[in-house]
Amino acid sequence: MIEVKQLSHQFELGKKDKKTVIPVLQDVSFSVNKGEIVTLVGRSGSGKSTLLHLIGGFLPRQSGTITINGMDVSNFTEAQFAEFRLGTIGFIFQNFQLIQSMNAYQNVELPLILQGVSETARKIQALETLKKVGLEGFEHHYPSELSGGQQQRVSVARALVLNPLIILADEPTGSLDSETEEDLLHLIKELNESLDITFLIITHDDEVAKIGHRSLMMHDGALIDQEVK
Amino acid sequence: MLFKDQLYFVRENMKKNKMRIFMTVLATAMGTAFLIVLASVAFGLHDTLIKDVLEQETVNQVQIYGKDDPNSQGITDEDIDYFQSLEHVRAVRKQSFFRQSPLVSLNGYETNPYTVAVDMAALEAGGTQLKDGRYATSSDEVIVGYHFYEQLLEKGTDPEDMYDENGERIKETLYQGKLIGETIDLTVSRLTNETDTEEKTYQLTIVGVTAEPANEWQQDQSLYTTFDFYQSVSEYTGTPGGEMYFQEEPMDLTFYYDEVTIQSNNLENVQALTDTINDQGYYGYSVASELKQINMLFTIAKAGLIFIGAIAVIIASIGIFNTMTMAVTERAPDIGIMKAIGASPKTIKQIFLLESSIIGIMGATIGTLVSYLISFLVNIGLPMILEAAFEDQLPEGFQFSSIPWTLVLIAYVICLLVTLISGSRPAKKATKIDVLSALRREL
Repeated sequence: MIEVKQLSHQFELGKKDKKTVIPVLQDVSFSVNKGEIVTLVGRSGSGKSTLLHLIGGFLPRQSGTITINGMDVSNFTEAQFAEFRLGTIGFIFQNFQLIQSMNAYQNVELPLILQGVSETARKIQALETLKKVGLEGFEHHYPSELSGGQQQRVSVARALVLNPLIILADEPTGSLDSETEEDLLHLIKELNESLDITFLIITHDDEVAKIGHRSLMMHDGALIDQEVK
Repeated sequence: MLFKDQLYFVRENMKKNKMRIFMTVLATAMGTAFLIVLASVAFGLHDTLIKDVLEQETVNQVQIYGKDDPNSQGITDEDIDYFQSLEHVRAVRKQSFFRQSPLVSLNGYETNPYTVAVDMAALEAGGTQLKDGRYATSSDEVIVGYHFYEQLLEKGTDPEDMYDENGERIKETLYQGKLIGETIDLTVSRLTNETDTEEKTYQLTIVGVTAEPANEWQQDQSLYTTFDFYQSVSEYTGTPGGEMYFQEEPMDLTFYYDEVTIQSNNLENVQALTDTINDQGYYGYSVASELKQINMLFTIAKAGLIFIGAIAVIIASIGIFNTMTMAVTERAPDIGIMKAIGASPKTIKQIFLLESSIIGIMGATIGTLVSYLISFLVNIGLPMILEAAFEDQLPEGFQFSSIPWTLVLIAYVICLLVTLISGSRPAKKATKIDVLSALRREL
């Protein structure tokens, strides 16, 4: 489902004459199979977020190749990646990234709007997805009226609503307490099993790492170990 | 993304900062209103002038004053045949003036009218309407001008007694009898030698009265006869048109027309007809030539005023630019989320361009409505102010300001264009927002 080959990346800091080059990823290669939950673990600054952002198309690729669902996305333009993302990849962020002026229903409806789905179909799909993540009855609540766990569930529903093949999650439990964390992990597991969605999850939390079929360990921009469960 | 949803997004976004949007729309509306009202003055004055020119009966006429030929003494029947053969000619009116004002007596009233021989059949064919009666069909029939009766004075009355101290004609002194069917005595004089004169009286029947002239200031007091009668008078006096001139040798009485008027079948063809006639060496003149110059002058004036008005819209566009830039900055995190989900740069750009266009359309619409109101008030109020200040009455139908749909269209196009240009840079900025920076709230 995801195939990364010899991916390297570096950041350039400072002004023209005093540029500092910081290598973040070095020759990273790995693959994620369909229906698999893979966790990327490592310390802060190990390059796991950069890797996820490259796969998600938020950063321009410098070297190496990325293939998602059999399609080489390495040379996609911003617009091409946006279109590809909309139909194929769902995102879950650490701090939920919900639009504060929209209620739960509107946040979940947003990807459907961007895809040009009709209003009637949107309503059915959005409500169904909210129900799936256990937020029935919370449609009209704004993010500020929801708990952290509920907000993350809205975020999961938004990622799910277009039936993506892959969900990329960046520290999904980072802002949650242990009880809600457990609920969310349970939900992810359930979605993986029932809908066969592939998950690539970044975490430094051992509990999260446990739910993966595989765990990839990163250190100083390189994959150093792999644990298959 | 469906257009309907884009509109919904824009509406929701606009609701978030109503006051700022209101002020921007207000500035745009003021700019548009300024543009329309300013240009409407040129449109209004142009319309008034054109209306005035078009009201003249002569608007679709070409007047021929002569021929650029040293051997030619005037317009002959041969020339008339040529005019009649031309395309777009509805009728050729020709007339010859009597060289003396004969004495006309009618039921005890007298006058010395300006007498003209006209082609009655051509007048009828040219659509010249009569107030009463019909056109003359024989040489002993005449028609009189609409104001002819005003000239008639009771025999033996001092003309000074006809007017009051204000110089107005005393109504009781006017001829009150009927005209149609009445017989007039028309007395023509001729010189029998250098000093002596003799007279001949013709009895003619009035069969028609011409229609009231289009303009109030025009007076039609003439007496119209047939060419046959004109020839009879010429033969009696031995001079063309009864001229009081004596010469032993008989004079050449070849008939020439003093004035020829060609009526075109269509206003649009008048200019082409005038050009054709002038190219053939005739001296032709039409009001249409003047109209062309008026139109050109006003087109320049309109363009100039629209240009000045457009500057106001451009100034208003600074507000739109500012509003849109603020909106992009404020919504950067939301734009980042949308882009992360899968919104294409094109969609983001469309939403912001749509928002600035809506501000422009709202401004243009309000500005147009206000302009119509100002125009209406100016057209009502200004004549009243001018009349009160200068004690001078403006002509009837005078329009100071006029807003045709073309001006509204021009204002909308300018407004929309300016708002799109001013909104395009913020919209482009929105597409360039870095997703990661926006998600980290670094923008």
